[in-house]
Amino acid sequence: MPVVGSVALNLGLGFSILTILILVFYLHTKDYRLYLTGQRSALGVSVLAIIATLVLINELLRGNFDVDYVAHYTSLETPLLFKFSALWAGQSGSLLFWLSILSVYSLIVIFLYRNRHRKLMPWILIVLTSVQLFFYTLINFITNPFEPTSADFVVANGNGLNPLLQNVTMALHPPTLYLGFVGFSIPFAFAIAALITKETNPLWIRSIRRWSLVTWLFLSIGIILGGWWAYQELGWGGYWAWDPVENASFMPWLTATAFIHSIMIQEKKNMLRVWNMVLIILTFGLSVFGTFLTRSGVLSSVHSFAESPLGPMFIYFVILILVVSTALIIRRLPLLKSRKRLESFTSRESGFLFNNVVFIVICFAVFWGTIFPIISEAVRGTKITVGPPFFNQVTVPIGLFLLFLTGVGPLLAWRRTSKQGFIKNFTIPTIAALIGLIVFLYLGFTGYVLVAQTLIVFVIVAILLEFYRGINARRRRFGENPAQALLRMIRKNRSRYGGYIVHLGIVFMFVGFVGGAFNQEKEFSLKPGESEQLGEYNFQLKNLREEERLNHYAWIADLRATDTHNKFITILHPEKRVYFFRSPDPDRRQAHSELDIYKGIIKDIYSVFTGIEVDKNTAYFKIMINPLVWWVWLGGYVLVFGALISLWPARRMI
Amino acid sequence: MASKNKFLFAIIGVAAVVVFWIYWVSVNSSADNPTLVRYLSIGELKDQNHTSRVKLGGVVQAGSIAISDSNLLDVTFMLEQGGETLPVRYYGTRPDLFKDGVEVILEGRYKDGIFIADQLQTKCASRYEGDLREETKTQSGEL
Repeated sequence: MPVVGSVALNLGLGFSILTILILVFYLHTKDYRLYLTGQRSALGVSVLAIIATLVLINELLRGNFDVDYVAHYTSLETPLLFKFSALWAGQSGSLLFWLSILSVYSLIVIFLYRNRHRKLMPWILIVLTSVQLFFYTLINFITNPFEPTSADFVVANGNGLNPLLQNVTMALHPPTLYLGFVGFSIPFAFAIAALITKETNPLWIRSIRRWSLVTWLFLSIGIILGGWWAYQELGWGGYWAWDPVENASFMPWLTATAFIHSIMIQEKKNMLRVWNMVLIILTFGLSVFGTFLTRSGVLSSVHSFAESPLGPMFIYFVILILVVSTALIIRRLPLLKSRKRLESFTSRESGFLFNNVVFIVICFAVFWGTIFPIISEAVRGTKITVGPPFFNQVTVPIGLFLLFLTGVGPLLAWRRTSKQGFIKNFTIPTIAALIGLIVFLYLGFTGYVLVAQTLIVFVIVAILLEFYRGINARRRRFGENPAQALLRMIRKNRSRYGGYIVHLGIVFMFVGFVGGAFNQEKEFSLKPGESEQLGEYNFQLKNLREEERLNHYAWIADLRATDTHNKFITILHPEKRVYFFRSPDPDRRQAHSELDIYKGIIKDIYSVFTGIEVDKNTAYFKIMINPLVWWVWLGGYVLVFGALISLWPARRMI
Repeated sequence: MASKNKFLFAIIGVAAVVVFWIYWVSVNSSADNPTLVRYLSIGELKDQNHTSRVKLGGVVQAGSIAISDSNLLDVTFMLEQGGETLPVRYYGTRPDLFKDGVEVILEGRYKDGIFIADQLQTKCASRYEGDLREETKTQSGEL
């Protein structure tokens, strides 16, 4: 069976070259039958990639250890779900997975636009197929997932998946992230096609706006799930560490967020056309760069795999994308230039513009911090590492300015905000923020925390006010009750109110980030019966148990948490596990701490079983009190909800 | 045209402020707030007798791990790198994969011939590709 996969990959490579040739030929001859042939050939390219992926999934589920990849990432003991998710656990599998997601997208594009965008479609297909060709080349020649196991004996069992990855969230995080990364290929293909064909009809803008939103949503979910996984599984008590690979997913998110804002100006005002092209290209470039950072091992991080010749290939590909795109934009500059000008600083347009500038500078700061170690080593020969304090210090004030814009932007009118408009829109939020400021000052908050809290109040009030005004207007005009008015108002203007809900989600996340300033942490040892204090809590080790399970051996602590008034709160059960404990070779055995978290709206109690001395009957723990983390996840749900409202199709599809 | 320039200046102004800000954060790296940390070899550390906060990488010398009797969190070991060794003391939770012969990355200070680390990360071979291939073979070979 693996042969079928291999052959599909070979054929796919051939077909993608063929598709590009046919389509180029069509553009010369204008013979429509050639276009249809090219289209079908493009279908073939995509279908072959999907077939190869299905074959690999089948091998993984069957546990065919003759395939090196299968032997590497699964074992007989691996649960079914993780046999499946092993598809994206390793390098070659995840590249194939990237390709097959692109192929699914590509099929959707071919189907949806079979009768539309006549002028653009040939070029869109050429661009998409070229990207597929790149991945086919990598998979066929550099890292083939169907490579047989290089052993001269029968492989009876595989390695098994790293226990850290045996978590349901971890099964979902990569695919959603990939759906996001890969999805930007489509707006990119549209942009390139529009540049080449000099298409000025703004219809395509609407198509890619939806694509970008869907893709942006996947990327957002992927990033949030990654944070969620880190928090649940890694045991250092946080959800974001400014790891190079986290940054790699964050950078395209920033440019994409800038894009879905500024594309609105292009849709409404036909302005910022050059800028939008730049943003799409940057976003796609950063997505490929992100895949490169994750899959090449150029930077050491939790995510990286061993070094391989993939690195240079990816770098060339990114450079090719940037050079070709920039050249195209420069050639089309006269066409793209807008005749309209921004009129005033106090306009919605300029609000969007500054929002864009801020997103781009955050992206630049993150980019700089991520690649600085490489540059420093190459240029000065000194190795320097850039730690989380750098990113935190740089991004916190810029992030707060962005939060401020989140509140202000929607209050500004298009073109120019009048004096009366200013007073009408800003009075209530400003008063609320001032009251908040006084209260928080009185409670003893200072610095960034105080600024953040004040801004949070400002933005929440501003958003709620927008909803209140909209509802009130409908009540007066149509005599609807508030619930009706709310629903109809949202239905009438999905993208606007969906957007506000997304903003609300972001504000909730900021609430969670503020909580991070008050984290508490303590490490200590306990024998059964002993207890230890942290903050307002008391932790007593009630019991220490042992259990032998299917693929690991576990020590389980029963840690009873009470508050200072001796009121019972919860019993935590962090575990210390040893995987491969039956292995005669002690180096193969792998320890793993399965942590336990008591989650609350105000605080999480985070417990890690860090070590055990069996002969002394002593267990070691790390306990953290993390305030307001819950709000980060709440914000995530709200963000998804808001984005779905924006995306929900009105009467007509796309 | 005037209005166009106005916006251009505003954008350039914002960008300039941010670039300066990034620069300022980079050069104002302190012990409490280590934004940029130098990564040294053991040789460089000993020669230059660095007392500022630095990073070190190396391998845990086999058999050198000594865990304190009174506190499991307190550990000393010898770090090997580039033919040199250095005694290291670390207090805190050790990663699950910390053991003899593992590659580690440390962050901390060098003081009186001992490196006092407050951060310890393992670079674990088994999580990544390279070494696993060998392990697969040996393990399967035994079966």
